[in-house]
Amino acid sequence: MPVRVSESSVPSQISGSSSGQSSPPACTLLSVGQAFSGTQNVSSVQNNEAWRVNVRIQGCDLDHGYLCGTMEALNVPMADTPVVTFWEGEIVDTKNYTFFTGKWDATPEDDIRHWTKFQSFSPLMNQAKVDGGKSLDLSNYPYIFMRWKEQYFVNVGTDCGLTIAGFYYVCFSCADGSINGFYYDPNSSPFQKLELKSTNEGRSGFSFSSYELQ
Amino acid sequence: MPTSGPNNKPEDLIARLSSSDGEAKLKSLRELKNQIIGNRTKKLSYVKLGAVPAVVSILALAVESGDSSASSVIIQSAAIIGSFACGIDAGVRAVLDSGSFSILVRLISHSNNKVVDAGARSLKIIYQSKLAPKYDFFQKENMESLLSLLNSEIENVTGLGASIITHSCQTSAEQKILCEAGVLKKFQKLLQGSQNQRDASLESLATIIKNNPVVISEFVEADNRQYLRAVIELINDRYYRTRLLACMCLTAIWNTSPSCLQDVGLGTKLIMILLELLDDPGQVGDDAPFALASLIAEKEDMQKLAFEMDAVDKLCSQLRKTPLQAKRIQGIFLALAELCSKLEFCRSRLLYLQVLELVTDAFAHDSSEVRIAACICLKSVSRSVKSLSAGLFMNEMILVPLIKLLNDYSCSVQVAALGAISNIVVDFAARRPTFVQCGVVKQLVHLSTSMDSTVRVNAVWALRNLVFLADGGSKEGIFLELTTSTLLSLICDSESPVQEQALGFVRNLVDGCVESIDYVFTEDGVILHAIGRQLRRASKTEGMYVLSNVASGTELHKEAVLHQLLPSASSGAQSFLLKFLQSDDSRLRTAAVWSVVNLTFPCSPGAYARVVKLRNAGIYSQVKHMVNDSSLDVKLRARTALGQSMTFGDSST
Repeated sequence: MPVRVSESSVPSQISGSSSGQSSPPACTLLSVGQAFSGTQNVSSVQNNEAWRVNVRIQGCDLDHGYLCGTMEALNVPMADTPVVTFWEGEIVDTKNYTFFTGKWDATPEDDIRHWTKFQSFSPLMNQAKVDGGKSLDLSNYPYIFMRWKEQYFVNVGTDCGLTIAGFYYVCFSCADGSINGFYYDPNSSPFQKLELKSTNEGRSGFSFSSYELQ
Repeated sequence: MPTSGPNNKPEDLIARLSSSDGEAKLKSLRELKNQIIGNRTKKLSYVKLGAVPAVVSILALAVESGDSSASSVIIQSAAIIGSFACGIDAGVRAVLDSGSFSILVRLISHSNNKVVDAGARSLKIIYQSKLAPKYDFFQKENMESLLSLLNSEIENVTGLGASIITHSCQTSAEQKILCEAGVLKKFQKLLQGSQNQRDASLESLATIIKNNPVVISEFVEADNRQYLRAVIELINDRYYRTRLLACMCLTAIWNTSPSCLQDVGLGTKLIMILLELLDDPGQVGDDAPFALASLIAEKEDMQKLAFEMDAVDKLCSQLRKTPLQAKRIQGIFLALAELCSKLEFCRSRLLYLQVLELVTDAFAHDSSEVRIAACICLKSVSRSVKSLSAGLFMNEMILVPLIKLLNDYSCSVQVAALGAISNIVVDFAARRPTFVQCGVVKQLVHLSTSMDSTVRVNAVWALRNLVFLADGGSKEGIFLELTTSTLLSLICDSESPVQEQALGFVRNLVDGCVESIDYVFTEDGVILHAIGRQLRRASKTEGMYVLSNVASGTELHKEAVLHQLLPSASSGAQSFLLKFLQSDDSRLRTAAVWSVVNLTFPCSPGAYARVVKLRNAGIYSQVKHMVNDSSLDVKLRARTALGQSMTFGDSST
């Protein structure tokens, strides 16, 4: 069983405004080709429901704080087949993106309300409230915070009765590759929880593939 | 309709050139000159009939005679030689083969300025060809002659001096010696001359400063930056050619020493002017996209600026104009390729403007340069994972003509096509089986055995990307086509980049379902052994990942990897695992520590025995050091590895 890294490590402050901010850690468990599976809780007052979800990382560009992939929802009630969407992620690297979303109908208050749901965010909260975390150096922090925004449906039409209007606040653990997230859409039930674990496709261990674009 | 009488036949005209009557000879020379000016067909047919040596011998005789009345013959024959050398390679070859070059050089020191001018003009034209001989700047007398050319009052003579530099200056040593000889100063003066002199100076200036920070600094600081200012002013000159050349000069500085320019708005100005110059229907418009491509190459900020100035739209609308010169199409594709090389919004815009069809049409263009540029453009656009994921490029319109290029007679076209294919086959939309079935794998495999190592590496690269996350059926088809023996020879290729791509291929091949791992165990595991041998020779991250991936399989797989990593003491081979765990390259350390994690993965029956073997080989003492590794990824994996070993109750590791 993988060993968890102590969660007491506190990110360092960047000294001086001109100092170069390094990228978040390159984590093999979050590299292209890696797969995750779990559930998204879509419970509302009326019903208690969870969809099975598979995620695959397809692209990663740490210089631009960019990550993308697909998300497959398996037992969606109104769909005959699994519904696959393509999403693009913003990595909170404090260089390209901060904890403040600044779009998609999310206010800084909405942001903090969601980020605080992640325990690993608590050492960062005070600074994040001040400037979105701009002055934090997260390059050695064992968690990667992201926003995932679905961009299009891959295998169904836009008339499928589903919406991808919102986005996810995501926290990835570099230690074990687990992902927690909260879906945010002012028009959907609040705090729908996404819980994913790194999968190894029947292997007894971890396998890593790679491609290189020219 | 006038018809050619017997005396108007080219053969007859050539015969009349040897007339002993001076007047008749001169008349024939004039007639020949008028016939060939601007007419490629006529030039070629006269070259075939041997007109060039005939004219050169007339020139030689006239020069030898020393007769002042021969000047007209010299001027006419020199002009004809220049005309033959203008625009067609066969003409330049005939002119150089005829021995006229040295005679023309002698004309430069003639007492009659008109003769000097004619000689200089023809030589200048010859120097505009790639076939012209290289001028040796390191010979003292050559440099003196060059400086005297640049000091001349005759426009064509200074133009000749500039052309010699533009043609022959290629190395930084040549740039340095020209700079030390004071050539920069000469150009400063010539910039104030006629339009021709300005243009020739700007072109040579760009040649002298290109990629040379020392010469650039000398140029920029000269005359209290007045010289630089003069060039910057010329980007607004009324002549388009001058504007273009001034932009190219400044681009040469921008690309090498951007901090020298100190003008924040200059980048925007240069882009704006180059975009305006695209509208020129002539040579300036043909050259402008190349200059733009050079200005924005590798510079994301400049690409963003160009995008904001509608560069994608402007280039695409130029592309829709017909007919277009091959050179212009090539330049536009290259500029679009640079624009789309880094920024997703540029790629999206290009796709939105629906010019992909024009790109694919160009795959069948007569000019190989256009075919190459079209492939480079597609390669750049297909760097978009978002579009790849939507399967935008996996369709017949693109694939059919692109795959045809794999049979192109030109290796450069094949390489460019392979570059685009390498990207397109990263297919997330699960359309790969169609691609695999269309016979392209056979061609890729064939090219992976090419004698040309660039073709080889690109073909293996495409196969490596093709097998990334491929389904079992596709993998099987690809492996059967490639065969164990070819894969083996690629892993052991003489070129390191080919080895790296081949190892990347195997890494992807053994990923996915556990059965995939069996590919490296075919024929008594020759592939696995070959990888082990390669890893003992050199550090290779891709190879280490192959072993790590195999180690995530069954007991049999894990034991085979352990055998590679820890050869028995009797074999005398050293463990490279320890070396890789200590590597300076964090990627290699990560791959190595992953293999330890996989070998000792909890619940696998032989995990404990492997922990013991690894401990005895000193692996765990190294892993212990790595829990504080500078790389977070390495640090976390090292902790996982240690944690796993402790689950066996063996805290001694």
